[in-house]
Amino acid sequence: MNVEGEISVAAPREAVFKALSDAPFFASCIEGVRDLTEIDATHYNAVLETRIAYMRFTFRVTVEMSLVSPPETIEAKVEGMPMGVVGRLTATATTRLSEDRGGTLIRYAIDATMTGKLGSMGQPVLKAKAREMERQFGERIVAAFAPGGARATV
Amino acid sequence: MATTAAGAQVGRSLPRIEAREKVTGRAEYTHIMQVPGMLHARIFRSTVAHGRIKAVDVSAARQLPGVFAVYTSEDVRKVIPDPYYGPAFHDQPILAIDKVHFVGEPVAVVLASDPHVAEQAVQQIAADYEELPAVFDEVEAAENKIVVHDELKPAGTFADLKHLKGRKGTNIALDFRLRRGDVDKAFASAARVFEHTFRTQKVLHLALEPFASIADYRDDGVTIHSSAQGPSFVRTEIARLLGWPENRVRVKVPYLGGGYGGKLYIKMEALAVALSMLARRPVKVALSMEEQFYTITKHPSTFRIKSGVDKDGRIIARKCEIWWNGGAYADIGPRVTQKSGFTAAGPYDIDNVSIDSYALYTNLTPAGALRGFGIPQLVWAYESHTDMIARALKRDALDFRKLNLLREGRPQATGTILKDAAIEKVLDCIADRLHWKAPFDRGSGTIRRGRGLAVALKAVISPTTSVAIVNISADGSTTLYCGTVDMGQGSDTAMAQMVGEVLNVPAETVRVVPRDTDITPYDMGTLGSRSLFHMGHAVRLAAEDARARIAALRREVGEAEGSNTPLVDLFRKRYGMQAGNIVGTGTYKPDYIPPDSEGLTTNATPFWMVAGSGVEIEVDTETGQVRITRLINVADVGRPINPRIVETQLSGASLMQIGFSMFEKMQIDGGQVTNASLADYKIPGIHDVPPIIENEVVDAYQSNGPFGAKASANLPHSGCRLRLPMQSTTRSACA
Amino acid sequence: MTPFELAEPASLKEAIALIDPDDPDVRPIAGGTALMLMMKAGVFRPRRLVSLRKLGAGFAQITATRDGGLTIGALTPLSMLEHSAEVARHAPVIVRTMRRLSNTRVRNVATVGGALAHADPHMDLPPVLIALGATIKISGPSGERAMPVEDLLTGYYETALARNELITGLRIPPQGTARAVYYKVTAGSADDWPALGVAAAIDSDRGTVKSARIVVSAATVKAMRLKSAESVLIGGKPDDKTISSLADAAVKEADVMADLRGSASYKRELLRVYVARAVRAAMQEVA
Repeated sequence: MNVEGEISVAAPREAVFKALSDAPFFASCIEGVRDLTEIDATHYNAVLETRIAYMRFTFRVTVEMSLVSPPETIEAKVEGMPMGVVGRLTATATTRLSEDRGGTLIRYAIDATMTGKLGSMGQPVLKAKAREMERQFGERIVAAFAPGGARATV
Repeated sequence: MATTAAGAQVGRSLPRIEAREKVTGRAEYTHIMQVPGMLHARIFRSTVAHGRIKAVDVSAARQLPGVFAVYTSEDVRKVIPDPYYGPAFHDQPILAIDKVHFVGEPVAVVLASDPHVAEQAVQQIAADYEELPAVFDEVEAAENKIVVHDELKPAGTFADLKHLKGRKGTNIALDFRLRRGDVDKAFASAARVFEHTFRTQKVLHLALEPFASIADYRDDGVTIHSSAQGPSFVRTEIARLLGWPENRVRVKVPYLGGGYGGKLYIKMEALAVALSMLARRPVKVALSMEEQFYTITKHPSTFRIKSGVDKDGRIIARKCEIWWNGGAYADIGPRVTQKSGFTAAGPYDIDNVSIDSYALYTNLTPAGALRGFGIPQLVWAYESHTDMIARALKRDALDFRKLNLLREGRPQATGTILKDAAIEKVLDCIADRLHWKAPFDRGSGTIRRGRGLAVALKAVISPTTSVAIVNISADGSTTLYCGTVDMGQGSDTAMAQMVGEVLNVPAETVRVVPRDTDITPYDMGTLGSRSLFHMGHAVRLAAEDARARIAALRREVGEAEGSNTPLVDLFRKRYGMQAGNIVGTGTYKPDYIPPDSEGLTTNATPFWMVAGSGVEIEVDTETGQVRITRLINVADVGRPINPRIVETQLSGASLMQIGFSMFEKMQIDGGQVTNASLADYKIPGIHDVPPIIENEVVDAYQSNGPFGAKASANLPHSGCRLRLPMQSTTRSACA
Repeated sequence: MTPFELAEPASLKEAIALIDPDDPDVRPIAGGTALMLMMKAGVFRPRRLVSLRKLGAGFAQITATRDGGLTIGALTPLSMLEHSAEVARHAPVIVRTMRRLSNTRVRNVATVGGALAHADPHMDLPPVLIALGATIKISGPSGERAMPVEDLLTGYYETALARNELITGLRIPPQGTARAVYYKVTAGSADDWPALGVAAAIDSDRGTVKSARIVVSAATVKAMRLKSAESVLIGGKPDDKTISSLADAAVKEADVMADLRGSASYKRELLRVYVARAVRAAMQEVA
């Protein structure tokens, strides 16, 4: 599964880069992430819990910040195991920041693979959820940099 | 039911003898069979496409109440030290050892009396892998940059695989090569040269009865109930794995809920046996519909085909390169690669031919035989190629084919002379039915119409052996023992008809015993369209042997030549009461000469199979949607043993091909099949049946066939041609 | 599938009481054709299922109302709709839709209520009911309420129902001179889940459109009306140009998503073509 998109943020690139490379902030933009713990400077553990109607999906995930190259590129590798069902989630997310009319344009590309039972039979549901999560992620980032937001620069 | 006079059994459209049992729900199938004390197995499968197993944690699963045991390959090796199996290569472990090679590969098994408990326990197992780079594409696999297996392990059964033993650093599990004439020279002299590449997608058999085996292991022997197409092979292979004589292995096969080549060789049997050995209880391994996607599929393929044509439109040179995506284990892929390689250049008379056909390992679900043994993939390519050349040369597709057609008495690419192969008759029949030479309504507006035809040639899987026994009881009733598995193709009925024909009794009075290797004699397997010819001959010979013995008995008891004393009275005269048996046996193995290093042989096959199809379609030019409005299937089956069954086989095979041609595709993402269910992987339903289907067999006779027949009950490749007319007609309709 | 409790209440009140509004692992089950797939896929592991099968035949009836509408019990199996003379008379589009809705075995057990509450955007019945202007009757602990079907669906598998509310019935208003069509566009077999569904109900008088309801499904996260397309149509006499701008409006309005059955761009093209065809077909029915 490939997801690509872009988000326009009204903040300078350095500020956006700093925010995105800050794991707790990044995690706070993703719905359902909890129990984020730092293993070392580039590795984190977390639990991702997501709901689709009456269905609940919980993943134990490990995140590796595989490339942090200021002020432009952040690459993260995610590996997760769904709880209670055999499977495996692997994803590589690449984020590129560029200056854009005083603000910052975040271009992201996520290449995710889901194997096991959820991968073979649950894809339609999960894909729909991924779209929703993507939209929320964008909204939260924009909100964080908007005036009055957690990362507001003005 | 009206019974035809005895002695005229061949050629009767006798309803299938098992039909009543099946439609009333009484027929037995392994998937629903119960054995007292049986445990259910559920499989924990790999979630990576290629990786080293670092650890498998089964502790949580073991602790779940109701779980009998959890096993991994470590346990399997305690009872079967070298647990690798396969028909061509001994490459497939019963459970993954050290490495996993595709998403879905069995890694561990839970046993429980309650299958739901076993299923729940499987979800508690966790494995840790060191992920390795994986290769999914067959052409990429041929570059050997990512290697699936560290070392090749041919089984030793096939002479042409021996040279691959121990080879390292390669994904090529067979390279079949054929060289006829001088291709380079011919291309140089050709007026026009055409080259195209065709690919086929990954699809699967998807029998409505998924794979199922039950093993009951005792110290003195093991009994296996299995939904298997080749009980004799299963017996041999299990005996080899156990280091036992074959007579301690018993394989029983009831009816199959479909097979299509998927249930050939060995599938769940070795796992069931190993588990029963470990548990000391009968164990049933019955897969879900989803798990079929992780068991065996058809080969995806890439076919690069190049032809040189002279100024008169005659094809003078053809070069074929085919890459077969065999998945993680070879199964019968190398045989598919070689046997289909024989006819990869198509049913055309071409003096200069070069064929290279490669069986490749990749990190996908293994691939094997599916209704046509590789032929459908080839026909799709070479007949599309034929149409594309004809169009470029501005020649009629039928005339161009007829100009180049391989005719009786001419050598086929292997050098074997074509005999009893009604290629032209089949082609003409399709053309007649399509009114090919009459004007055709091409449609108007957003609905355009097109049509097309195609024809194919196949060599049968040979040399293979079949044995049959005909037993006449003292009351005169007849029983047939033969190992051909009736999986829906109607073989029991056809075999009974042949016995009836020889012994002059109505076919419906002949009992065909269910397959049981303790009772039914050896048969190589129900595959590759071989059964009616090979087993048909064995059955005929057994019946003839019995008939000769009846004649001997008549003489022995002093009956005059030609007397019609009932059989029961002969037995009474001979044994003083209704006692004794007459047992006739028959063994058949046709002649065959293996191809030499150039792929040439004067006897590539005991018979040729020929089939073709024609279609008319409508294309919606606004949406690209295609509708088949008419489908014509024509085949040369020699003389049909049971015309009605032949007809249903032709239409059945063509409907299956409609699925493959129109919409079936295993969607794969990162090695994971993402549509592994009947909800998302759709097979044709009743609304997908074209409004008009016509099936016809041409008037033909197979001179060396049993009663002039060949492959009457199963003509797997007939519908495959559909793929081609579909594609090229779509093109012409849109043009 | 893992073990769970199966409750089989005999009354609606009892059924509602058995559903714990705070526990998503307690679900009502009617025909079970959709829920069982979720359970097999391992995405839903119930603690308790509350079967509605024993609530009585009263919930499985089709009645024609005096004004020419229909009331349909929530537990009515789809095959009953398919073979009902009343449905054929008052809402023939439903009968036509049934023929390619999954298969006979599914239609024999799947229920009208389930087809709505499941809220999978690929289902065929919801877009048709939205086009027909149907409303549902809902029962919960605090009584009954009614809701248009178009307000029921809020997202992929999501509805406006509270967890302990049950759909009890359906009302299809009289269609008068309006005519409806539904196009199920599949990329796989004919009975596959659609890549796109388009329903249209149009009432017109001598070519002038009085009312129009146009619904898209399957390609979007929920079945939804395309109001901008409708507004292009209403009040005028549609010609080729109108229909073409209507199709453009539809494509602009619908947030089309890709899935196994087609890319978003292909589905947008399908939508453009089939919205136009649906409108033409519905108009032709009138003439």
